[in-house]
Amino acid sequence: MSLLEVEGLSAGYGDLQVLTDVDMHVEAGEYVTIVGPNGAGKSTVMKSVFGLTDRMGGTVTFDTTDITAMDPEEIIHEGVGYVPQTDNVFPPLSVRENLEMGAYILDTVPEDTLQDVYDRFPVLRERASQKAGTLSGGQRQMLAMGRALMLDPALLLLDEPSAGLAPDLVDEMFERVDRIVESGTAVLMVEQNAKAALRHCDRGYVLVNGENRYVDTGEALLADEQVRQDFLGG
Amino acid sequence: MALLRDKAPDWAPDRTRVRTALFVAVLALLLFDVLRRLLGESLAPSLLTGYLWDGLVFGLVIGLAGVGLSLTYDLLGFANFAHGDYISVSAFVGWGSTYLIAGLGSFDPLNLFFLGVGDTVFPRDVGVSVTNTPGAILVGLVVAAVGGAAVALLFDRFVYRSMRKSGAIALLIASVGVAFTLRFMLVFLFTQDSFGLTVGAWAYELPFPGGTVNISAPELLLVTVAGVSMVCVHLLLTRTKLGKAMRAMSANRDLARVTGIPSERVVTATWLVGGALAGLAGFMIALFQGTVNYQLGWTLLLLVFAGVIMGGIGSVYGAIAGGVLIGLVTRVSQVWIPASFAEAVGFAVMIAVLLTRPSGIFGGDSL
Repeated sequence: MSLLEVEGLSAGYGDLQVLTDVDMHVEAGEYVTIVGPNGAGKSTVMKSVFGLTDRMGGTVTFDTTDITAMDPEEIIHEGVGYVPQTDNVFPPLSVRENLEMGAYILDTVPEDTLQDVYDRFPVLRERASQKAGTLSGGQRQMLAMGRALMLDPALLLLDEPSAGLAPDLVDEMFERVDRIVESGTAVLMVEQNAKAALRHCDRGYVLVNGENRYVDTGEALLADEQVRQDFLGG
Repeated sequence: MALLRDKAPDWAPDRTRVRTALFVAVLALLLFDVLRRLLGESLAPSLLTGYLWDGLVFGLVIGLAGVGLSLTYDLLGFANFAHGDYISVSAFVGWGSTYLIAGLGSFDPLNLFFLGVGDTVFPRDVGVSVTNTPGAILVGLVVAAVGGAAVALLFDRFVYRSMRKSGAIALLIASVGVAFTLRFMLVFLFTQDSFGLTVGAWAYELPFPGGTVNISAPELLLVTVAGVSMVCVHLLLTRTKLGKAMRAMSANRDLARVTGIPSERVVTATWLVGGALAGLAGFMIALFQGTVNYQLGWTLLLLVFAGVIMGGIGSVYGAIAGGVLIGLVTRVSQVWIPASFAEAVGFAVMIAVLLTRPSGIFGGDSL
């Protein structure tokens, strides 16, 4: 049994169906990316796993628990963390307060996890009392990941973590995600930077028009002539 | 909301600078005139100090009411026009309790609680004042706060909750309906009469050049209550988990949701805090004016809005600053013009401030 099992998932927003019959799975500690053209429904898969869309069919199972009908509030309790693509920090709150909010569902702020996050992203420790709104794009992305890591989730959902980052920061970001995976957290990531994402991940899904088109290891997808031509720009 | 929060368009800086210069020039002129009058002895220093003290006291009540309005505005995204009537209802409930405690044994309890409506009990007979019956006043203050919180929660459950997904305009119109419901419920119970509340209380006559400045016990109580409440709100927002969650939710509702902040619980807490502050403000304004009637909160609400908008809508600290400024302006303006124009002056200053700082004094900072 995989950590995350998505079976025959159809979902969308209101009357608009975006996903049709999507199957996907993530093993414990695995690093999986979803790539595909714009509008393919990559982010929608992630949002559907986290309970943010209207689900129209299929099941989502996390760690043997059926989370298909759950709200985000409940899914967090199961051990899934989600980092939205944009607006993913609370600008008027300090960096530390942002991280505290990440642990809201716990009775007290777990001091050791907080120190782990600070060790992982030292710049956050330096700027702990600064307002999140004053951070640069790269620092914000770290804070957003740090906030989601405050509950030490078994699965982290990352929605386009490289979006809006300066090119030289993108590599750094991928390395950070590698280190999160090394520490035992499974990652399901949507990326527009498809080639780089496939180089780093264990397995990749190519999503087209709301349906899975290809599944394979990252390397195999990168090597696949058809995938290269259609989705990776040759 | 968007209109009020929008950044100034590109052409604004130059014009704003001209307006700011004008504003500062007028302010300097007025200050110069005050000095001239003080030196020429046509304005007694004691009178001016009296205006300032009175304005500060009045401004703190407006600020207190404004903090509650600002909090709910920030979290729920609509201007609650019923806030003024929450103020009125809690003033009646609070003062009813004060009368009940103060006159129990000598008068019929029901008549006491209804403030002697129909001329059954008269204020001079009960003899309530801050110095005569401090216990009854404190009980009334607490009941007013609890009453305000209860009314706020009640109407959230029955009206606003089912409209969470509606737009700001629909909610605003619903709040006008709530306001009318409460106001005319008060008329039904208490008629349209004004009720005198207190007998004279102890006051200190501070000697000052040109006369004395009266600092009364009710005023001191009011300043203390307002000051303590504001500090408590500040500590709530910056030191407690709940307060931080309120700020987080006001900054980004969607992110708060995916972070696991229970939005309904935070909204409920916000109504409780906002309602309690409205209750305190209601009790205090009635104490300050010495009378209460069904329009108490509604008439105050316009000035509260002026203060909140001037401070930068949605900012708690702006609401306090704006309220105090409105209070001072409405009183100090009496140096030049009759007291009956006080409210008009308050609004004129609000407009002047918004022309020079379109998003308010603390504009842009949320909570």
